[in-house]
Amino acid sequence: MDFELSEEQNLIRDVAARFLEDNWSSDIRRKGLDEPPATIPSELWSEIAAMGWLGISVGEDVGGGAQDMLSAAILAEAAGAALLPGPLISTMAAVTALDRSGNQSLRNAHIRALIQGDKRATLAVEEANGCWGPDRVEARAVLASDGSGTLTGTKILVPDGDGADLFLVAARLPDGLGLIAIAGDAPGLSVTPMRRMDGQAVVEVQLDGVPFDENAILASTDGDAERVLREAYDFWSVLLAADLLGISSAVLEITTEYAKERVQFGRPIGSFQAVSHKLADNLVDVEIGRSLLYGACLALDEEAPDREVLVSAAKAYLSDTAVSVSESGLQLHGGIGYTWELDIHLYLRQARCNAASLGDAAHHRERAATYLADSFG
Amino acid sequence: MDLTFSVQDEAFRARFRAWLEEAMAEYKEVMRAGGGNPLEQSRVWQAKLYEAGYLGMAWPRAYGGQEASLTEQVIVSEELARAKAPGTINTIGLTIAGPTIVQHGTEAQKQRFLPKILTAEELWCQGFSEPGAGSDLPALRTRAELKDDHFVVNGQKVWTSGAFFSNWCALLVRTDPSAPKRKGITYLLCDMKSPGIEVRPLRNAGGGSHFCEVFFDDVKIPRENMVGELHGGWQIARSTLEHERSGLSGVIALEGNLERLWQLASTIQRGDHKAIDEVMVRHQLVQMWFEKEGLRYLGFRNLSAQISGSGAGVSGSLGKLVNSQLRQKMASLGLEIAGPLASVAKKSPHVLDRGRWQAGYFDALGYSIGGGTSEIMHNAIAEGVLGLPHSADQ
Repeated sequence: MDFELSEEQNLIRDVAARFLEDNWSSDIRRKGLDEPPATIPSELWSEIAAMGWLGISVGEDVGGGAQDMLSAAILAEAAGAALLPGPLISTMAAVTALDRSGNQSLRNAHIRALIQGDKRATLAVEEANGCWGPDRVEARAVLASDGSGTLTGTKILVPDGDGADLFLVAARLPDGLGLIAIAGDAPGLSVTPMRRMDGQAVVEVQLDGVPFDENAILASTDGDAERVLREAYDFWSVLLAADLLGISSAVLEITTEYAKERVQFGRPIGSFQAVSHKLADNLVDVEIGRSLLYGACLALDEEAPDREVLVSAAKAYLSDTAVSVSESGLQLHGGIGYTWELDIHLYLRQARCNAASLGDAAHHRERAATYLADSFG
Repeated sequence: MDLTFSVQDEAFRARFRAWLEEAMAEYKEVMRAGGGNPLEQSRVWQAKLYEAGYLGMAWPRAYGGQEASLTEQVIVSEELARAKAPGTINTIGLTIAGPTIVQHGTEAQKQRFLPKILTAEELWCQGFSEPGAGSDLPALRTRAELKDDHFVVNGQKVWTSGAFFSNWCALLVRTDPSAPKRKGITYLLCDMKSPGIEVRPLRNAGGGSHFCEVFFDDVKIPRENMVGELHGGWQIARSTLEHERSGLSGVIALEGNLERLWQLASTIQRGDHKAIDEVMVRHQLVQMWFEKEGLRYLGFRNLSAQISGSGAGVSGSLGKLVNSQLRQKMASLGLEIAGPLASVAKKSPHVLDRGRWQAGYFDALGYSIGGGTSEIMHNAIAEGVLGLPHSADQ
């Protein structure tokens, strides 16, 4: 029985927090709302890669860190708390999908360059159909008998897609769903920049009969492509939940400090129960959410039978928590909280965007309901 | 990270589970035969647990305890909850008075009181709250004057669960009215048969009579029944109130509630569909499952922190707050799922499940009051965890 962070994980957390404090500023995000999108400068990206963050979950034989899910989540949490933009998380998810797929030729061809930051990969799953996730994917891959194929469809909200070297595209294959690796310069692939409410760059990807061959499919060693896609999406969802936890705990800390210092009616406002009880409720949500996240991480590592429902629990709970903690943070700061200069709206923007990414709370509640109906039925 | 228990722990669990199954079958047989009143039956059940070595898990062996590991303690409470075993009758003795005597009592007190708490030969109640001292417990005014070798106690306690059947009372009294309120309180062990004690049962909002008012009129308590120092009772009371628990057995009870709710929603017909087919019902149930599961993993974090001694556990106030909120949300949802039948009284035609959802609803209301109100839990989290300034002048 050991459900605490290991010494090594505590170290990962502390180093990540210090590194981001020294090398990243929320001001870049604020400027990114008025000017072209806030991105991570290439020198910083190289440093992040050199620290081993991108390949933290990837096998050691290709230079990865071979750490567990929780260690990756700790990095994502630190990124959320520091308001680092999304490519860190989407890259971690993409390289891990590549690493675990069992497609050795793809893995050998790309993974070192990706985790060293020399090339960029991303995942393209969502489509403009009002839904989320693998189940609603409509992009279609047609395969000929000689193993050549074409891919047609439209993907939206693809992170880090501008200049990506490799798109892992979710599509319907003749025998189920799967991820197909498509080069950024493939014929028939075109990219249109989109922008999120929090200033982050995402893209729409048009796939118009893009040619590929069957070796580009990310199948597992026993040939199961759908499982690779679903596992990648769950892995990515947990990292996003960790980012939302980082947002929640950062806003709670900022607001708690403010409530201790801000004096009205001759007392710090944190001594008023209308304020302190709200903050206590926020802490409850953060701690329950953190517990669910740890549970989901462990379940994924152990391939536990309840892993999908725990992933949904963490994503749903932390989506709601990040939004509500950010909203009450804004409210409890009073007038100053409603200004452009304060970081709270930056957190709230990212919370709203990430809460609406990879399945919102209602989407995940519904997915969990299907699982629970079986277990209670 | 690793949530598995050791091989030895799992072997212990298997042994206990097997014993429990058999013991409960026997107990139910006795119940069916109508053996004794409910109080006597509960005593018998507790004595059975004790004799088999599954009670007083944390207590020293010298006084009948088991000195079991933390994981074994958790396993016992988990398995009891899972098997829906009858409660142990001597709750206050086992969770409040006993641990206080273990920690702060004299050798004579330990020998005198602890074994009989375990065997349920002597049942205990807790005389803390007063009409003027609820959430503000340190404001208590029940007066005790030390005269030679005994105290003379005058005053009134309230919300004293089980006072009408208890043999002993863990009592907080004011011994120094001139000192600051936390510095003039003494912790006494009071024989409930002492002359001058009057117990009046109080009916709760749900109609039950579990708690009482207790009046003290010149009640004599020997000085040897004082725990700790004179005027030092507040620190002693606090140390047991703050006794950290993982809360894992409470989670298993919540799990049982949730499963029954899900089954109710899957059974109740609403015209052309079942209640569970409604998104609002289904999503509320799922959200409660999430919160229950969050409490479970929070419990694992706390248990791990207790085992490692890292101090990284999360405040017990937080678990208590979430647990009581969740119980109430579940109870309310039960009535919502019941639909029109939510209003039908027990013993009436058309009553649903003999009125258990309504009884559960009123039962749940007490959880956010007893053992510290949710408002006080909020204060404890705000001040104790977040470090916010005190909400009231101390």
